[in-house]
Amino acid sequence: MSDLLAMFSYSYMVRALISGIIVSVLMALIGNIVVHKRLSMIGDSLSHTSLAGISIGLVAGLNPILGAVIACLVGAFAIEGIRTRLKNHSELAVAIILSLGVGISGVMSGFVKSATDFSSYLFGSIIATTIPELIAISVIGAVIIVTYILLYRSIFLISFDEQSARMLGVNVGLINTLITFLTAITIAISTRIVGTLIISSLMVVPVAAALEVARSYKKQVVLSVVFSVVSTLTGLVLSFEFGLKPGGVICLVSVFIFFMALIWGRFCRKR
Amino acid sequence: MNVVEVKGLTFGYEDGLLFEDVSFDVNSGDFAAIVGDNGVGKSTMIKLLLGLIKPNKGTVKILDKDVTSMKDFTSVGYVPQNSGALASNFPASVEEIIRYSICNKKLSKSEREALINEALDTVSLTSSRHKLIRELSGGQQQRVMLARVLINKPSILILDEPTVGIDGESVDRLLEILHTLNIDRKVTILMVTHDLKSVSSYINKVLCISDHSLAEESASTSATIVHAHSHKHSNTHPDHIHCAACDPTDCKDEHCHNHCHNHEHNHEHHNHGHHEHDHEHGHGKDNTCEGGASNE
Repeated sequence: MSDLLAMFSYSYMVRALISGIIVSVLMALIGNIVVHKRLSMIGDSLSHTSLAGISIGLVAGLNPILGAVIACLVGAFAIEGIRTRLKNHSELAVAIILSLGVGISGVMSGFVKSATDFSSYLFGSIIATTIPELIAISVIGAVIIVTYILLYRSIFLISFDEQSARMLGVNVGLINTLITFLTAITIAISTRIVGTLIISSLMVVPVAAALEVARSYKKQVVLSVVFSVVSTLTGLVLSFEFGLKPGGVICLVSVFIFFMALIWGRFCRKR
Repeated sequence: MNVVEVKGLTFGYEDGLLFEDVSFDVNSGDFAAIVGDNGVGKSTMIKLLLGLIKPNKGTVKILDKDVTSMKDFTSVGYVPQNSGALASNFPASVEEIIRYSICNKKLSKSEREALINEALDTVSLTSSRHKLIRELSGGQQQRVMLARVLINKPSILILDEPTVGIDGESVDRLLEILHTLNIDRKVTILMVTHDLKSVSSYINKVLCISDHSLAEESASTSATIVHAHSHKHSNTHPDHIHCAACDPTDCKDEHCHNHCHNHEHNHEHHNHGHHEHDHEHGHGKDNTCEGGASNE
């Protein structure tokens, strides 16, 4: 217990905890949208796209996070554009952009001078979060959360049925554009914190767990946020305690929570 | 008053025309069925009526407004095909689906609750309000879809095959609800259906799509409507007679009788599943027919 409390005496851990909470809330909120739009793998696709942007940034001597943001935005809108054209196989849009991202980052990684820098974006460096980064994540996070709350009804209706949403007066085109933008920004800022390899898991697994136990859409959103935050905090504590890589531990904890939710959900339904 | 007004509608895809110069009206209080063979364009007609696709020529108006420039569709309640089944995987409760469909943002909390209660009561799902939609039967899911459009008090309901995939008892229940809405609340209803027999006792108009055109048939009795549809030909065709006003059990029109028994379309029609066509022709063999077109 004292070890646990000692964790809070380290400023880097406090920054890691706060940034982890913000990122996990954003991941869960965006995850709810992409899962119901049948775009569960978009996190994987855009995280690899962000890696392409990061590698270009590192090679060109620019801010890699800026590279990640631009690449994610381009990738997200490309997915949306291809998805609307491949009506019967819209999920292929995600695979196509994933391939593009992997290809570019694979090629550009050969030109990156510091392999350590590059690999830190694969698994994230949550414990290396600086104060300016924390402030940026907090501001962006607050904007995204407030936007989500304000658009909650429209997001619900579009996730439920786009055509009916249009008939009910929702500006589907504008909201979809905004969702694409928010998804790209969320993934880009999360890449630095949790790493490209973890993003997809954080986006999808807590939502999957919530789907097993929630009795309404609202409860499902709230539970997915709770599961995501608990996964991140538990993962950070365990990694601190046992000297493990935080990203991987966070992933494993979220999967564990999913299986517990699966068992609990089955048990409740049988009663 | 015309709730729906279609004039000179022409539409087609790259591989050919679906509709050519189609015109029809749906009046206030009508309960009309759109029928036709598979692939003839029934769902496309619905999309044209809702402004989801633009016609090549012609105009479509709902409540006197051109649908292609209409922004506010809250006066139109649209239930798409298979909507209940498609929604069944969404993790929302019945109440949420209805609540978030309310368009009027100026309502107070109590007014919203009253609307939700009324919508649930109309479709007899009050006891299921907290259930997840995936926990309901197909028929109940379809009623939820109906409730979510009714909550905005539409002037017209447009339903695309609402009885597909649900059992007979649920079909009857759904149709009774629609009938009550039509008679008591004067809601105009336009419904695409393959199941003309089930709806025949409720509808007062049949819009039959065939050969890129549309025949509008009105009649006062259900058997007459089914009989009229079974002919499926307009009175402009020189060889066929439009017998909309004939009572099939007492049809004395010579051409009607001959047409039914001799015309090769009978077999085509039967093969497409319009079973009522042959079953309904148990009429007499006299040669007079009241009403309808000339009996030449």
